[in-house]
Amino acid sequence: MITEVNTAQYDALDKKGPMLVEFYSKTCGPCKMLGFVLKDVDKNDPDFRIYQVEFNENKELKDRCGVKGFPTLLFMKDGQEVSRLEGLKQKPVILKEIEKIKA
Amino acid sequence: MANRVEHVRYDHLITRQNRAEKEFLARLENEKPRLDNAIVVVNPYLINPLAAMILFKSDKPAKAVLTVHGKRNDREDIVHEFPEATSHALPVLGLYEGMQTRVTVALSTGESQDFLIQSQPLPKGICRCRNVATSLDYFGTNWMFLSPAGKNLPTAFDYRGDIRWILTENTMFDIKRVKNGNIITGSSRFCHMPYNSTGLIELNLLGKIYKEYRMPGCYHHDHFEMPDGNLLVCTQDFSRDTVEDMLVLLDRETGEVLRSWDYRNMLPQDVAGSGSQDHHDWFHNNAVWWNEKDNSVTISGRHQDAVVNFDYETGKVNWIVGDPEGWPEDMQKYFFKPVGDLSKFDWQYEQHACVICPDGDVMCFDNGHWRSKNKEKYLKNRDNFSRGVRYRIDTKKMEIEQVWQYGKELGQDFFSPYICNVEYYGEGHYLVHSGGIGWDHGWASEKLGAYIKLGDEGYDINSKTVELKDDVVMYYLEVDGNFYRAEKLTPYHDGDNAPFGDGKLLGQLEVTPDFGTIPDLEETSEVVDAWNQIRIEEDEDRLVFHGRFQRGQLAMVIMDNGSEKKGYFINTAAVSYLAMCSGAFLEDDDRVIKMNISKSSLPAGKCEVKVLVEDRIFQTGVVICN
Repeated sequence: MITEVNTAQYDALDKKGPMLVEFYSKTCGPCKMLGFVLKDVDKNDPDFRIYQVEFNENKELKDRCGVKGFPTLLFMKDGQEVSRLEGLKQKPVILKEIEKIKA
Repeated sequence: MANRVEHVRYDHLITRQNRAEKEFLARLENEKPRLDNAIVVVNPYLINPLAAMILFKSDKPAKAVLTVHGKRNDREDIVHEFPEATSHALPVLGLYEGMQTRVTVALSTGESQDFLIQSQPLPKGICRCRNVATSLDYFGTNWMFLSPAGKNLPTAFDYRGDIRWILTENTMFDIKRVKNGNIITGSSRFCHMPYNSTGLIELNLLGKIYKEYRMPGCYHHDHFEMPDGNLLVCTQDFSRDTVEDMLVLLDRETGEVLRSWDYRNMLPQDVAGSGSQDHHDWFHNNAVWWNEKDNSVTISGRHQDAVVNFDYETGKVNWIVGDPEGWPEDMQKYFFKPVGDLSKFDWQYEQHACVICPDGDVMCFDNGHWRSKNKEKYLKNRDNFSRGVRYRIDTKKMEIEQVWQYGKELGQDFFSPYICNVEYYGEGHYLVHSGGIGWDHGWASEKLGAYIKLGDEGYDINSKTVELKDDVVMYYLEVDGNFYRAEKLTPYHDGDNAPFGDGKLLGQLEVTPDFGTIPDLEETSEVVDAWNQIRIEEDEDRLVFHGRFQRGQLAMVIMDNGSEKKGYFINTAAVSYLAMCSGAFLEDDDRVIKMNISKSSLPAGKCEVKVLVEDRIFQTGVVICN
């Protein structure tokens, strides 16, 4: 399930369990492409939670998460970042990281 | 504006040269001309307008002495003797530009014939000599070969600054003569931005390419011929997130990669960075040298201000010449302590072209860019200097002494923030080439030459090459443009100067990785807009896709054979490069991108080429048969 969230919505999330947070920009080609990759990932496992955060509209949140650029993917478990990927990545790379946080 | 896509299909230069050679050799066999009506083919291999071939038969075996006459006096004549033969194909090198050059062929049987050979016109906008100072006594009939650092062309100048050799192909990086007399340099075929070409080419001075060594990780910066003829070549692995940090040994006959070295296994990354370092290009290997005495390899890493020596067999670091500041404690043992007259000692920064002298001394071109590891101490280019430098190292005491330098005293006038080289000819006899000089209204530019907008008032780039003997300047050449390296060579060599036979494409291009996800978007029957300037170059082994896109657009090339689709993502984000050692592939409009797609990665059969732009998939009308 892919959900767009802002800072307030992100803060209010139940962060228990694994989830993926993507910081993206609306004006970034690789982010647009990554959006399609995440849709593809979502097809595989619709129950897995993917949240998308617009980088420029949520500056305090991206600073808090130590995100320096876009796209950035944070793989989280129980509210803690386990790993991150920066830049456009292919589906198998993302699935591998998801498997790690689901384990 | 009409929608239009340009599709250009051409044969590889090697194929065209093979064809041209067969044609003139067939003429020789069919017409059997004598010396007095010999066939003269100007630019026989299509890329050297200042070369020719004289073809004829003689009844008896005869040696031929060829003289390319100088335009001022006979001391300028270039003379070469060819072995005994009855079928003669004599390469003529060094025709003067824009005039007829007198060439004499004298046979050992007594016959002699003069030819007046008109060279072909040179391309417009080539880089010319601005200033040269040397003597015929010193420089003789050697030429100074300069390899381009941008869209300029590889060019050689004689002792008076006349252009005597030029290739109309924008070959890349270093030109080195190998033991068989040929030269090896980078191919002109684009592969990866910013300046990676498909591989190396081995050619003679007529321009005939014998081999193109294609490499999956492409070629950049430098190569070194080993005693057995195999080649050490700077490369990388594009599937990783770092570049310019690998070396391979190429089989000279097959082009196969025999061995590789990964600097990430030798050195820590993201430490001791020069002012130009980033995570992606953490080392920036711009030179390689192999030393027979201790079977070691020496590499230059511009972005760590380090000349690193490692054992050929084990890959273990032996020593590092460079400022030790910023290197972790466990690496300090590899660094040297300066001794001798420390008032004259300087470390090198962002250096190029490391050379190991016969006595083990280390030479390099110290570009000096930033001239510190500490940001607070960075120098502006106008306050900086570049130089050739020679260090004496004691690897037992781990001491280093600066024993020679040339250039510091010239300040910004000789300053090159990038590229350049030194050559060791003998004790006290050196070449120092400062090929990356740039000017901004009379001051050393803060930009690299490739980024300086020429034509705007106040901006200029040039290149200065100096040879010194016992600290006396024996040769000084100043030319337009920036040139990567300089190499003094004789036009002819003792081996076979022009052997015939088909040139070969060896090795492999990388299999271009496709992007597994193709966006599920509407496909329209419309052809992509002319604004996108789509141009597809098709070569024998690859496509080069050119297009213009708005920043941040979603873009992809899609190859569709009806049953299989492969997508190749186009990055439309702005990219800035901290190094631009060759601007050959740079576009004036940075929204214009080009992407190399090797044919080995395409779906089989007839593929329609489609282009995804933002929210629709457009047609190009181009079909590639694979």
